Amino acid sequence: MSEGSWGRIVALVRQDLRLQLRDPAPLVVRTAMPLLLMGFMQPLFRTALRADRVAGATGAEQAVPGMAVMFTFFLVNLVGFAVFREHGWRTWDRLRAGPARPAELLAARVVVPLGVAVLQLAVVFLAGGLLYDLRISGSWPALVAVGAALALCVVMFGMALVSLCRTVNQLAVFANLAALLFAGLGGALTPLSALPDWARPLAPGMPSYWAMRGFNAVIIEGGGAAAVLLPVLVLLGFSAGFAAVTLVFFRSEDRKVAWS
Amino acid sequence: MEDSATEAGQGGPALELRGVAKRYGPVTALSGVDLEVAPGEILGLLGRNGAGKTTLMSVVAGLLRPDAGRVRVLGRDPVREPREARRRLGLAPQELGVYPPLTVRQNLTFFAELAGLRGRAASRRVEEVAEPLGLTGLLDRRAGRLSGGEQRRVHTGMALVHRPALLLLDEPTAGVDVGTREQLLELVRAMAAGGTAICYSTHYLPEVETLGGSVAMLHDGRVVARGDVKELVRRSGDSGIELTFSGSPPQLALPWPVVRDGRVLRLTVEQPHLVVERVMGALGAAAGELTNLRIAQPSLESVFLRVTGRRYDSEGTDGTDGTDGGEGAR
Repeated sequence: MSEGSWGRIVALVRQDLRLQLRDPAPLVVRTAMPLLLMGFMQPLFRTALRADRVAGATGAEQAVPGMAVMFTFFLVNLVGFAVFREHGWRTWDRLRAGPARPAELLAARVVVPLGVAVLQLAVVFLAGGLLYDLRISGSWPALVAVGAALALCVVMFGMALVSLCRTVNQLAVFANLAALLFAGLGGALTPLSALPDWARPLAPGMPSYWAMRGFNAVIIEGGGAAAVLLPVLVLLGFSAGFAAVTLVFFRSEDRKVAWS
Repeated sequence: MEDSATEAGQGGPALELRGVAKRYGPVTALSGVDLEVAPGEILGLLGRNGAGKTTLMSVVAGLLRPDAGRVRVLGRDPVREPREARRRLGLAPQELGVYPPLTVRQNLTFFAELAGLRGRAASRRVEEVAEPLGLTGLLDRRAGRLSGGEQRRVHTGMALVHRPALLLLDEPTAGVDVGTREQLLELVRAMAAGGTAICYSTHYLPEVETLGGSVAMLHDGRVVARGDVKELVRRSGDSGIELTFSGSPPQLALPWPVVRDGRVLRLTVEQPHLVVERVMGALGAAAGELTNLRIAQPSLESVFLRVTGRRYDSEGTDGTDGTDGGEGAR
């Protein structure tokens, strides 16, 4: 990649960041919501985890990563909106007519949502420790690795949806549906061991399942890098798959309907 | 960063199109378009809605691929060498495209940075562009809070910050106030004087006459007239009398060519003011249905009428918009 290419990506990322900072309310709400829901879910999860013979469980071991995973997937809307708003403001064609390559336009759109996802996960886990007494019995770096892989997976899923959806309404519907499906089937809303029988075979097909498996390995089982290797690799595999979908279906000349 | 405007004077046309064609399904948007624009030339691109003006701009900017023919922007092919071509051109599309939540300065700086300018160089360039556009006092205002005319100037400025050798302005004065229009026209003249080739699409014939450059008239996707404005008017501009009736125009026994267009009769005649009395006499009882009489002097409008057989409608509302206004490009 040429020096000019990096310069353009930096310019695009700065622009994206400026636009995010102009309207931070959605991000603040999306970060506060899981903290609120954890309070409601914790007693339920405490009972479930103790029934599952997790000694000394406070419920935060499931509530914090579960809500973190679910609300990280809600960030898919953020990823999509970063592209759709360019169509709404009619700046997309201006960018296309400029010196930036389509790949640079896409690459730059990944950076800020990725940073936001990592930041949101960090805030949720830190607040989970402070407010809900979450204790990490395993390795912190391993936890960070799972979080980073999850964030990448969410952002790439968002880009794949952008490439497939024509209107922002389609994007919102599919993003929210996916967030709830992933949360339910992936074990974010209930401990993996408590998933209904019909859901168990489906769970490994969800990226959220692997994120929860990785978080559980660190938080509950006290695991380290080796314990999260498989979940991290699978999440990266999902990311690569979503990236491939984006590369195959994204057409910079496609018109997107931003405000429908 | 080398200013692409300085490359314009290195020989060869700034823009060259040869046999360019573009279709949208069954609709022909451009057909066999040949065009050359020299460095420092202002080319007024005229045509009714759907004539192909926006499609032509989009093809030149590399937003659309032509079905046939070749395009060169300072010798670069926008399809095969998109970045090289785009680095040399600036596009201000017909539809306003600014970032409303950001300030004018941030909008302009972003495009300066995309063009490779950094830090103080970008700031300096932003101020250089803002001054002639009357944006200096607005630099720290959010674009979304500006008036339509001010936003149009920001929109135009975003196409200029990298000093392109070829500037594509697609209806830059659509919906703006008189002051903004004057500022934009003045800027266009100044840039052309500095060597920038400008392709200026508009519905307003007087603007092109005021700019005094050359003109290309598009009709049904074809270039039907091309040349210097004054020369074109001298060569192809007819004078005449235009009569509008409340009903169907009468048959007139007059020695001059007459064209019927709905409720309008057009007589082509030299020194039309000298024959008005005779025309009125020939109307007889039909004079009671006459609602308007207009004496037309040779102008771009009469050139357009002559080459297309249709009167130029400055609003362009003929309802045949298949390609302009961006619709056709979708």
